[in-house]
Amino acid sequence: MKRLLSVCWTVLSSRALLPLVCGIFLMTYIGIAFGTDDTLIALMGYTRSSVILTVLLALIPVNGACRMLAETRRFLARRRALRVETTDVPAALYDETVEMPVSPSFGDLPARLGASGYATRHTDNVLVAWRGISAFPARMLFLIATFCIFAGILVSLTTRTSHRAAVIEGQPLPTATGGGGLVERIAMRTASGLILSRVLSIEVAQSDSGDAKRVFGLYPPSTYRGYFVYPRYLGFAPVIRLSAPGGQNYETQGTLNIYPPGREDRVEIAGSPYLMEFSMEQPADGSDPFITGRVTFLFRLLKGKELLFSGSAPVGGEFVHDGYRLAIPDCKRMVSTDFIRDYGVLMIWTAAVLFLVSGCIWLPVRVFFPRREMRFAYARNVLQGSSRAEGARRRHGSVFHEALDYLESGKSKMDKTL
Amino acid sequence: MAVVKLIPHLLSWAGIVLVLMRGFPQRRPLLAAASIAGFVFGTAGAFILFRSLSSELSFAIIKGAVGAVFLLLWGIAVAAIYSNSVRDLSFSRGARFVDAPLCAGIGALLAGVLSGSVCVSSFLATSGSPMTLLAVVLAAGVLVFVVMALDSLLPASYTVSWSGLWAAIVALLFFSSSSVIRLDIFSPLSMKVMKFSHDFVHQFFESMLIPDHLFIRTYLWGYIGLLFSKGVGFWGALTIWFTPVLLVLLAIRFELLPSVAHIRQGAQRRKQLAAAIMTRRYRLVPPVIALAVFGAAAYRSSFPSVEYWDPKPIPVSANAAGEIFIPRKGEIDLEDGKLHKYLYKKGGKEARFFVLLTPTGQLTVDLDACAICKPDGYGQAEGTVICYYCKTLIPLETVGKPGGCNPVPIDFTAREDGVHIDAMALINKWSSTVQETARVKEGGK
Repeated sequence: MKRLLSVCWTVLSSRALLPLVCGIFLMTYIGIAFGTDDTLIALMGYTRSSVILTVLLALIPVNGACRMLAETRRFLARRRALRVETTDVPAALYDETVEMPVSPSFGDLPARLGASGYATRHTDNVLVAWRGISAFPARMLFLIATFCIFAGILVSLTTRTSHRAAVIEGQPLPTATGGGGLVERIAMRTASGLILSRVLSIEVAQSDSGDAKRVFGLYPPSTYRGYFVYPRYLGFAPVIRLSAPGGQNYETQGTLNIYPPGREDRVEIAGSPYLMEFSMEQPADGSDPFITGRVTFLFRLLKGKELLFSGSAPVGGEFVHDGYRLAIPDCKRMVSTDFIRDYGVLMIWTAAVLFLVSGCIWLPVRVFFPRREMRFAYARNVLQGSSRAEGARRRHGSVFHEALDYLESGKSKMDKTL
Repeated sequence: MAVVKLIPHLLSWAGIVLVLMRGFPQRRPLLAAASIAGFVFGTAGAFILFRSLSSELSFAIIKGAVGAVFLLLWGIAVAAIYSNSVRDLSFSRGARFVDAPLCAGIGALLAGVLSGSVCVSSFLATSGSPMTLLAVVLAAGVLVFVVMALDSLLPASYTVSWSGLWAAIVALLFFSSSSVIRLDIFSPLSMKVMKFSHDFVHQFFESMLIPDHLFIRTYLWGYIGLLFSKGVGFWGALTIWFTPVLLVLLAIRFELLPSVAHIRQGAQRRKQLAAAIMTRRYRLVPPVIALAVFGAAAYRSSFPSVEYWDPKPIPVSANAAGEIFIPRKGEIDLEDGKLHKYLYKKGGKEARFFVLLTPTGQLTVDLDACAICKPDGYGQAEGTVICYYCKTLIPLETVGKPGGCNPVPIDFTAREDGVHIDAMALINKWSSTVQETARVKEGGK
């Protein structure tokens, strides 16, 4: 059992696991690419439905967590090794370890190392020296970010639920369970920000179910009953009143995704053989109909495939042709909205921030203050010298080698080097 | 002409054998035998493939094998960078396997098989007698002996690391395959990268709940639109193309120097380190050459030395019933196996299409555009049509089938007198598919 656990730990904490799993996904992607053009979407679908692929993907965040544990343990062991009281220090903690049968006389080595920028600590038998800043915090942030991004992708792929509905002024917010608050107002205005050119707000009144009054914007998306409210497309919901020559009268409220002007949508007149195709006129003054609320609809009336007539009518106006009368007495703003339950999104954004922070820490530390350590310990008539460096290896190696020369001969060329 | 065509293949072959011999200096006779045996197998295998299967399938098999070797190089490059930069990761078993005679023999055999099949596929689709194949094999055999002689003149210190060895072999194989347009990997790769980028941006926006372009500033959307452009496919493919060799270069550059802490003479230490650094520099040479060869292969792929048949579209009109009629015979013979382009215009709208007799003997009518790329049209060469926008080659056998970068097929009626096409359906098809892609490629607006 212990052996099995050890093997599991070795596999799960291995640095090779991440590229291996990514390689398998790459192969799967290439395999799918032979069969379909929508390869990425197909791969996401397969990952969602296949237990094997889901488990494979889950291995990456697990690997990230195991690496965090392993590297924290290693970091703490290195910290302990910098204490002169510590005697048992595994050689695996260092890049280079050498043993020499010399007596433990450090002489003025600490001062010499100090002159080359190393901080030192020593007893009669142990001397430790170090300089620079460890990249461990940046590495930890990187590992946490890796964990977050892959856990986020996993959560998003396996648990995301979504439904699209039309949010219309004056109607309840169409939540999955119903009973959402009344949409009091939908408004849009131009924005002067760096990213968004327009700002949208959907004001929802307090609901009978106890939901507080809310205002939903574009970004970052807010949640309503655990669902992100993600506005997708804009449109209008006009009341369409049609009178046919035979005296038949029809009334329906259409939901038209016709924004921006030029986009077309169609609506069936309920209980009639008629179908209407709508678009929106671009105002001559260049204003935005969704912002001003002044809309002139362009329409075509069809009976089956036969085009009866086409025309235009503003909100509140009507159009008469060959015995047909079309009126649009009222029109509300409408936002085609996705209601999405997906907690992976938060993890992915967290990961993006962490990657950025870890990069910002790692780069200057690695370039200007790389961590370098050396340790000389005398035990059982042998002097063990160990060294490691996260950067500037050759310069550090040179100082380490000269220190060993000094310890062996008692005289050194360090003066020249340092 | 056929001999000129073979020159890049035989040069690549010689390069592959030389690199193999540098990589395994103790096993030269074994490598020479294995590689020439592989070349013979490859040549014979390709001959059998082209004689028993369609040329489309034969090319697909060889191209698949070349692509698989590229993936293998990616694996080797990642393993190399990990083994040379990560201290707590051991590849000792893998390293032992790589150094074993069996691995060297298998590697040489596979390299020979691929070189042979790529070399002869340059002419097998159109011609190629057993005598021609024999001549090619003899030339390849002679080249092996020339390379062995050349190799013995090179200093022993010019060694190759195992990752550098495979980088150089794959680069030379790609150089060879890039001169056969139907084995070209780079252009399809660009196409796939472009599609991936498009899908990824779309999925990323949806997954991260980012507002649609409707709400985003035009200048910013202009930058995002770059991710949908042809450039992204080209540069993305270049990145994928060169990255394994760059990883190999980095792996060699960051190879740990030997520990010299046990040496107590500074001069001795420096001497050993200098020797190790010099060896490391020599080892950088093959991947650097591989990088240049990969570049040459990508260049040949992007600018193939092939002239495409691309006739000027002939204007056509519809009759009163809204039907376009194109006669089978007349000024233009629709059944000559060539691409014949036409242009139909109506009320400010136009649609470009072509008629072609496929190798299966069926007429096909297609838009001169695909459903993915900008409608730059198609040209015809060597059993394929090429999409001018993304340089993807479509075998003639698959023209008329929908999907991918294939020309969008049009419904038509083939009668004895000619082909009849519904003009309205043609215009609608062009509007619904082609104009949509044109808009997306211009920035997704």
